[in-house]
Amino acid sequence: MSESYEFLFKFLVIGSAGAGKSCILHQFIENKFKQDSNHTIGVEFGSKVVNVGGKAVKLQIWDTAGQERFRSVTRSYYRGAAGALLVYDITSRETYNALTNWLTDARTLASPNIVIVLVGNKKDLEAEREVTFMEASRFAQENELMFLETSALTGENVEETFLKCARSILTKIESGELDPERMGSGIQYGDALRRMHRQEKLQPRTSRPDCAC
Amino acid sequence: MALKLKLKSFIGSKQESVQTPIEETVTDILTIGAAVTKNKVEIKPVNPHEEQEIIDGIEENYYDNESFDTSLHELQKLPEQLDADQITEDCLRLRNQLQAVSKRVSELILQNHLAYATELQQVMDLQRTLQAAGLVCQTGRKHLSHARKSFTVASLGLLSNYRKRQQLIGLLKSLRTIKTLQRTDLRLREMMEEEDYCGAIHLCQECQKAASTFKHYKCISELSSKLQDTLEMIEEQLDVALSKTCSHFDHQHYSKVQQAYRQLGKTQMAIDQLLMHFTSAIHNTAFTIILGYVELTSASSGAANFQKRQYDDLCKHITTETFTPCLVDLCKAMWEIMKSYFKTISWHALNDQDSCDGDSEIFHQRYVGTKLDHGRSRIWEDVQQRVKKFVLATDLSGFKFDEFIYILDIINRMIEVGEEFCASKSEGLQDTLKLQSLNYFKTHHQIRLDELRMFLENEAWEMCPVRSNFNILHLVEFRFMRKWANSRHMIPENELTTEDKCESLTTDQESKSYFSCYLEEGNPFDKQFEEEEKEDVFSALLETDGELLSDSDSDVAEDLKKDYIDEITGEAHSYKHKRRSSSRTILHKQTPLITNTTLNVLRVMGKYLQMISILKPIAFDVLSSLTQLFDYYLYTVFSFFAPDASSHNEQAVNPRLLNTLQRIRDNLLTNSSVMYVPNKKDPDASTDKVATAKMSSVVQLSDPKSLFGLAERVVATESLLFLAKQLDYLQPYLEELIPITKKTFLSQFYSQTVKMAVEVRVPVYGVVSGLSVSYESVLQQMSTVRWDVKEIMSQHNTYIDQLLKCFSDLRKKLEEVDKRVPLPKVVINLFWEQCVKNANRTFVEGFANAKKCSNGGRALMQLDFQQFLTKLDQIIELRPIPDKEFVEAYIKAYYLPESQLETWINDHKEYSSKQLLALVNSVDHLSRKSRQKLTNIIEETDKGRRL
Ligand SMILES: Nc1nc2c(ncn2[C@@H]2O[C@H](COP(=O)(O)OP(=O)(O)OP(=O)(O)O)[C@@H](O)[C@H]2O)c(=O)[nH]1
Ligand SMILES: [Mg+2]
Repeated sequence: MSESYEFLFKFLVIGSAGAGKSCILHQFIENKFKQDSNHTIGVEFGSKVVNVGGKAVKLQIWDTAGQERFRSVTRSYYRGAAGALLVYDITSRETYNALTNWLTDARTLASPNIVIVLVGNKKDLEAEREVTFMEASRFAQENELMFLETSALTGENVEETFLKCARSILTKIESGELDPERMGSGIQYGDALRRMHRQEKLQPRTSRPDCAC
Repeated sequence: MALKLKLKSFIGSKQESVQTPIEETVTDILTIGAAVTKNKVEIKPVNPHEEQEIIDGIEENYYDNESFDTSLHELQKLPEQLDADQITEDCLRLRNQLQAVSKRVSELILQNHLAYATELQQVMDLQRTLQAAGLVCQTGRKHLSHARKSFTVASLGLLSNYRKRQQLIGLLKSLRTIKTLQRTDLRLREMMEEEDYCGAIHLCQECQKAASTFKHYKCISELSSKLQDTLEMIEEQLDVALSKTCSHFDHQHYSKVQQAYRQLGKTQMAIDQLLMHFTSAIHNTAFTIILGYVELTSASSGAANFQKRQYDDLCKHITTETFTPCLVDLCKAMWEIMKSYFKTISWHALNDQDSCDGDSEIFHQRYVGTKLDHGRSRIWEDVQQRVKKFVLATDLSGFKFDEFIYILDIINRMIEVGEEFCASKSEGLQDTLKLQSLNYFKTHHQIRLDELRMFLENEAWEMCPVRSNFNILHLVEFRFMRKWANSRHMIPENELTTEDKCESLTTDQESKSYFSCYLEEGNPFDKQFEEEEKEDVFSALLETDGELLSDSDSDVAEDLKKDYIDEITGEAHSYKHKRRSSSRTILHKQTPLITNTTLNVLRVMGKYLQMISILKPIAFDVLSSLTQLFDYYLYTVFSFFAPDASSHNEQAVNPRLLNTLQRIRDNLLTNSSVMYVPNKKDPDASTDKVATAKMSSVVQLSDPKSLFGLAERVVATESLLFLAKQLDYLQPYLEELIPITKKTFLSQFYSQTVKMAVEVRVPVYGVVSGLSVSYESVLQQMSTVRWDVKEIMSQHNTYIDQLLKCFSDLRKKLEEVDKRVPLPKVVINLFWEQCVKNANRTFVEGFANAKKCSNGGRALMQLDFQQFLTKLDQIIELRPIPDKEFVEAYIKAYYLPESQLETWINDHKEYSSKQLLALVNSVDHLSRKSRQKLTNIIEETDKGRRL
């Protein structure tokens, strides 16, 4: 279906295997919990148009495999991502401990302006919790990440996570901190905006014939 | 008056004198009786004659009348002038007369006295008798009255009372009956509630009969009209009861209703009515369901009155979110109605046989039978229309694929139900299916193409690690094909899952009819839940799939995993190197080189095939779209990694591949390289077209250190070939899917596109082998060599060493690349083949550049080449060395005698004119004439070549 949107953001979902990345994406797109999800092979893809502050934004989301052997495949997708969900499993300290590695990868491979949200998933398994909210909050603060705890099972905070990330990017665009036209920003103008933009460019700045869009 | 006057005057004149006599007279006259008795004594008997005379002398008037007033008469006789004498005389006469009369009277009395006495005696007697009779009468009456009182009145009263009682008893009975009759109404209502229609009708009819016998009562007429009403009401109720059959057939209930109709003698009518009910049930149910959903979703937005909308119009208001549940509900409800109809038919088939008596009964049954039979297709037509209108009213192109598949499945199920119900081909639904599918598929495919472009543009051409024996059947999307593959023994025994093995068992159950499976409970459209259960089985299997797809940690290819660890931790390579050589050979053969995008394309293809298996009518459209996925992949790989191959170095690219690429460019790609924007206003313009992909900037193809992106090139090209291999695997399956008339399309696709994929290798790897060795500098060095040496040299030239150094460096680089991407042997061989061919071409070219050449020089050339071959043997594994002849023959041609040289030149067109001319010129044992001749031949051929 042709959906019109103003912006297209490239998103990444990263984090250790089994953290629930695919389930989060599935919950976000299908509004269903993906029972018996398998390990992702390479990279999978999903997209959804969301409304952020009155603007239609298309999210192009790459769900990466967390397993070590796919690292080289998944790394190539970091480039040009505008936002990333860094997911760990609150019931597994191992996934939490791996966060630093993931973060380094993201910071070095993706664009420096990438907006990262730390996501503590499986909030529903409170009894098995191994990582406290406080601890993760501190980690997020230290690394200048936004932080949310979600449950792909109940759907709690799933949509919010994506919206929060998108909203933050949008704010940065509006404040000029992010330039959507810069290469590898992970942001594209949608159908409506692009046309508008083109006209805008054609009229006041006719001196620039090499407009690349 | 006159008399008065006379008297007065008389009195007046004689007042004193006559006073007394008058008085006397008057008194006398007035008292005749007394006078008579008095005179009797006084008068002396006179002679009878005399007496007679006197009596005769009595005036006639005295006999006149009893009321005759004698005194007045006498007075009136008096003249006006009263004369005393006259009066005295008159008095006397009158006295005499009185005497005579009295005497006569007395005589008469005396004469009759005896008779009188007797008579009186008789009277007395009579009186006495009369008194006695009166007494008898009196006593008689007294007795009579007594008798009457004591006997007659009582018994007669009794009798009459008895009679009255009898009558009243009769009346009471009737009244009781009437009362009961009146009460039956209540009872009838009760019976209706108890659904005892038969009893009710029976009772009502009885009542009517009864009422007719009482019709002489006034109240009855009212009652019987009321009964008639009741009977009609019962029929109405019965009709309602009959209509209930439509939505839910209950054996007992229907039997009751049918029996009731039989009792009414209206079985035929009942069937007609029933068919009507079914029709309206279908319409009403469909309408209600859709109305429900429409109202549900439009509750917030405007209070439009949907109740009054037409069905078609209403369907347009269904939102995309509610479409599927609404469709399921609709189908379920339609199924229930059809099921009821089916059961109705079965009921009649069963029950009508039992109660077969009389010709009319048989006629009835035949009527009912044919009616019901004809009704089938009518009902199916109605159902089909409802579903069709509903489905067509919504644009499904935006639906999720799985949901759409589910919708198709539902419609297909509906078609199957229809087929089973009345052997209908369901053209309406088939058309719907085709229409919606095409519409959906076009949109879907466009999105998939665009997504594929996006995948390709994001593709870093990194190898996606999967298990060595990976093939499409390991993908969830191709699971449905396992049965097919199994039946053709295309799955290795050790990969067969338990489900595969019992597949054959379950198929029988699947083909079981809907009307036998779901007749008593469940609904064929209830499967959503079952589907999910199936998904579970799926997923359980997926666990193994996951392992199949990519080696799990505990899997055989431990080495492979180690490789990755090594890469990250930078473990000792020397140790690894030894291991490698052993494991590598296996890996070369086994590990499929695929990319993330390859997996995506395969998954999409799998989904397309699923779509085909559900959607036979658009099979061809889907299939041709499926081929586009491959087309696009092929085109993109070629344009990414061999963009210039077609412009120069033409012989390196198979012209058929170029044709194929041209065809793809014309048919599939939009002209502009601007990012594709779906254009809704003009959907045809962009249909099945996609923009050319731009390679991700991550991929670097110009770095000599990475051998100009050889790893990426290999992954890309080999993944393309992997795709081609999977398509080959699919070919027999695809052939079964499409109509025979379209077979040529498929075979063309395979011969022109799939088979051409392998041709992509040459230009893609050729670029690398061309760039990674500087043949130019070799040529340069060769030009400095002196080929006119007199003696036989024992030392080869250094350019050989340089080239060999290049080659061994190349080999090292290849090994580096091989660490990242296991290079298949074919690729390595092809790569070296190209390098050697390039080298050989360089040699010949270099030799041809020699201005002068001696025998010694020719020997040197041989020595150089020999050195090259010997050393090459240690660097590459390729056997035999390609184009060795090309170099050797060129060198040796120098020694040919004049006579043979001409034939040789004619036979060896692979050398350029320049090279041949150089050869001819360098041979110093040729005569000038023959040299000229040969030159002419070469120049002639060259002209011919250019033409
Ligand atoms: N209870 C609970 N389980 C979850 C939740 N999210 C995911 N899971 C489970 O965690 C397991 C892994 O989920 P995935 O989404 O496949 O994990 P992943 O991060 O995509 O894993 P890789 O693809 O291997 O990187 C599955 O068995 C899920 O059922 C959650 O919110 N709550
Ligand atoms: Mg995953």
